[in-house]
Amino acid sequence: MASFILKRILLLVPMLLGASLVIFLMLRLGPSNPAMDYLRLSRVPPTPQALEHTREMLGLDRPLAVQYFDWLGKAGRLDFGTSYALQRPVLPDLLHFLPATLQLAGAALALTFALSVPLGMLAARCRERWPDQAVRFLAFLGVSMPNFWLGFLLVLLFSVHLGWLPAMGRGGLAHIVMPAVAIAFMSLAINARLLRASMLEVAGQQHVRYARLRGLSERHVERSHVLRNAWLPIITAMGMHVGEMLGGTLIIESIFGWPGVGRYAISAIMNRDYPVIQCFTLVMVAVFLLCNLAVDILYALVDPRIRLSAEGQQ
Amino acid sequence: MLRPILAGALIALSIAAPLPGVASAGERLNFSWPVNVGSLNPHLYSPNQMFAQNMVYEPLVHYRPDGTIEPWLAESWEASRDGRIYTFKLREDVTFSNGEVFDAAVAKANFDAVLANRQRHAWLELANQIVSAEVVAPFRLRLTLKDSYYPLLQELALPRPFRFVAPSQFKNGGTKEGIAAPIGTGPWELAETKLGEEDVFVRNDTYWGKKPVYHEIDVKVIPDPNTRAIAFETGEIDLIYGTDGPISPDTFDRFRQTGNYTAALSGPLETKSLALNTNRGPTCDLAVRQAINHAVDKDAMIATVLYGTQLRADTLFAPNVPYADLGLKPYDFDPAEAKRLLEEDGWHTASDGDIRTKDGQPLSIELCFVGTDAVSKSMAEIIQADLRAVGIDVRLLGEEESSVFARQHDGRFGMIFNRTWGAPYDPHAFVSSMRVPSHADYQAQLGLADKAEIDAEIGKVLVSTDETERQELYRDILTRLHEEAVYLPLTYVTAIAVAKPEVGEVPFGAMSSEIPFDRLQLQAR
Repeated sequence: MASFILKRILLLVPMLLGASLVIFLMLRLGPSNPAMDYLRLSRVPPTPQALEHTREMLGLDRPLAVQYFDWLGKAGRLDFGTSYALQRPVLPDLLHFLPATLQLAGAALALTFALSVPLGMLAARCRERWPDQAVRFLAFLGVSMPNFWLGFLLVLLFSVHLGWLPAMGRGGLAHIVMPAVAIAFMSLAINARLLRASMLEVAGQQHVRYARLRGLSERHVERSHVLRNAWLPIITAMGMHVGEMLGGTLIIESIFGWPGVGRYAISAIMNRDYPVIQCFTLVMVAVFLLCNLAVDILYALVDPRIRLSAEGQQ
Repeated sequence: MLRPILAGALIALSIAAPLPGVASAGERLNFSWPVNVGSLNPHLYSPNQMFAQNMVYEPLVHYRPDGTIEPWLAESWEASRDGRIYTFKLREDVTFSNGEVFDAAVAKANFDAVLANRQRHAWLELANQIVSAEVVAPFRLRLTLKDSYYPLLQELALPRPFRFVAPSQFKNGGTKEGIAAPIGTGPWELAETKLGEEDVFVRNDTYWGKKPVYHEIDVKVIPDPNTRAIAFETGEIDLIYGTDGPISPDTFDRFRQTGNYTAALSGPLETKSLALNTNRGPTCDLAVRQAINHAVDKDAMIATVLYGTQLRADTLFAPNVPYADLGLKPYDFDPAEAKRLLEEDGWHTASDGDIRTKDGQPLSIELCFVGTDAVSKSMAEIIQADLRAVGIDVRLLGEEESSVFARQHDGRFGMIFNRTWGAPYDPHAFVSSMRVPSHADYQAQLGLADKAEIDAEIGKVLVSTDETERQELYRDILTRLHEEAVYLPLTYVTAIAVAKPEVGEVPFGAMSSEIPFDRLQLQAR
């Protein structure tokens, strides 16, 4: 198991290298011109001289290969350059904003887990009855409603009309409720349906029937024989939800004035702030890869068959 | 069982989130801006926000809303007969917020710091014109120019770069590598910056001029216009102000309709127009350009898309712009006249509603705009519909900003959105830019028979020392452009202000980058 984890961690290095090259090239293949964006932000007319000077100032006048290897060399020393728009080092700013995003995404993930599991169990238990229909309706809403729209609706109701929750900013528990719900809603709806389907599938299997024949209580059967075997798809889905939630923070942070990485990244994208986009994307790639690794490890822990087969292969 | 839990949860939430109230009277004004204000180096650009630079740093002279110049850090000034040497008598009662004295040596150090980075400021003609700044006496400063340049005073009034930071804050003897702290002579000091959250300004109690009523301005970072509107409604902020869509026009209208807030529009600050390319496609024909000017119903556009937040523009510059109140005859909205002009010019149509043709060529023009700008997109669609009604086909090209800029550079457009630079650049700097090939105006005017003559007049007006001659030259330049219908002036852009009643009337700055926090007067509640 340890060597499996080590191997996966070592694999991160070439994957991040490949991702860095792809990100670097993708950004530069488009028609955008960061020097022009810098001048626009500065409210300076983009004369040819001003453009040339700005390209020089931002280091965009050098050949692409020089730019890439220079950036890569510095990134290896954790220097991700200086933001074009903010003229500040990228990594310290990103790390400044990251805790807020992780807090929000973490809260959304916790909310997803805390609500989707009981809802999924309820739906499976009451198959085709009204609780199941209600969860189905919720899932329909969850996948149909864009999170930013839900965010605005929540603000309209709870901040503007009722005055119960603060509309924006980062502070206590009250500040995080609405953005976390807005981000989590889709994931929890999907998760609940997924768990329901998975539980119903497992419930039809022979070992569950056999457990019932042995006279075990329904609660015991559900907890130890159905739910435990229904976990695997949920774990996979949760791994994917982490990515969705980090993606969800991009827009939601702007709506709720949440000072996180998402808002930082959105403004970098709008301003073609290459150093910030490159650093942000690379950090996100690393987070995704680590989440996938965590899912694989959890798989092995939850399901002995996977663990034993991995050990057998070694 | 459930009820006490719910009640407890609600109480806990209400304790955790004390609801934002209105700023306490006389103490603090809550405002918002899309980004942090930056390190506030007065001699550099992004990420330094101009409105904030304007709060902390002051100019030698001040630009008034009527286009005139008033003394500020300089009490008076005199120009040599050839217009190349200006001598400023500085105020003797000015100190920086850290107690350092502002005098001619300090002013010279700041001019030298700006000129040491001249390349960065080359877009501004004054930076190219200043040869030297010299100390004549402790409170007398002399600026020597290469040539006479009448807009010197206007450009000195800009929020950057000719403003003054305490020389003790220079880094390596200058400011191009940054400053230690933003210490200015203005009515406000930057007290605190929380990255991504807010910037806090406090009143400079040693300010030489009239001190502001508010003690503190709290500028929260809110990038999204809808979030800003909600923050206003829920009391997080007390004032919304700006020209670049701080809130959407319909939201402004909603606030105005409630009657619960102060909602006001400034006078014209800039002009939004379409530059019509005289050097490419059907817009080479004067009749087509004139017809376009007659065919667009600007009033309907302002009422429907802009909810009355901007004013109808009949000329390239609003009449409140210096030298621009010329009484030029507007092109009235008159589709019949537009059709007549096109018919006379040989653009015919088989039946009403069809696209006109001439020598087998359809009357089809592309209109370029920034695709993500919802307001421009709606305006473009209205223009498309109006022109279609007179037989002109408009192809909308919504692209990203860089691509639109690139089209302005190389003239790849039929019609393109354009904006004047506003006070104090208008008219001189905007007109000056018409001679530069990278500007849409230059490209749009290239097909004019008298382009060389117009450019020569522009060169002349900038160095003229005779006020009457200047007025005549501007009259001629602007009249030619108007009669040649090089532009379709659409709207005069205004600043909007929405404030809580206790903030009272909101005065407007003369420049779009100026937010007059220091002139706000609290209303008794």
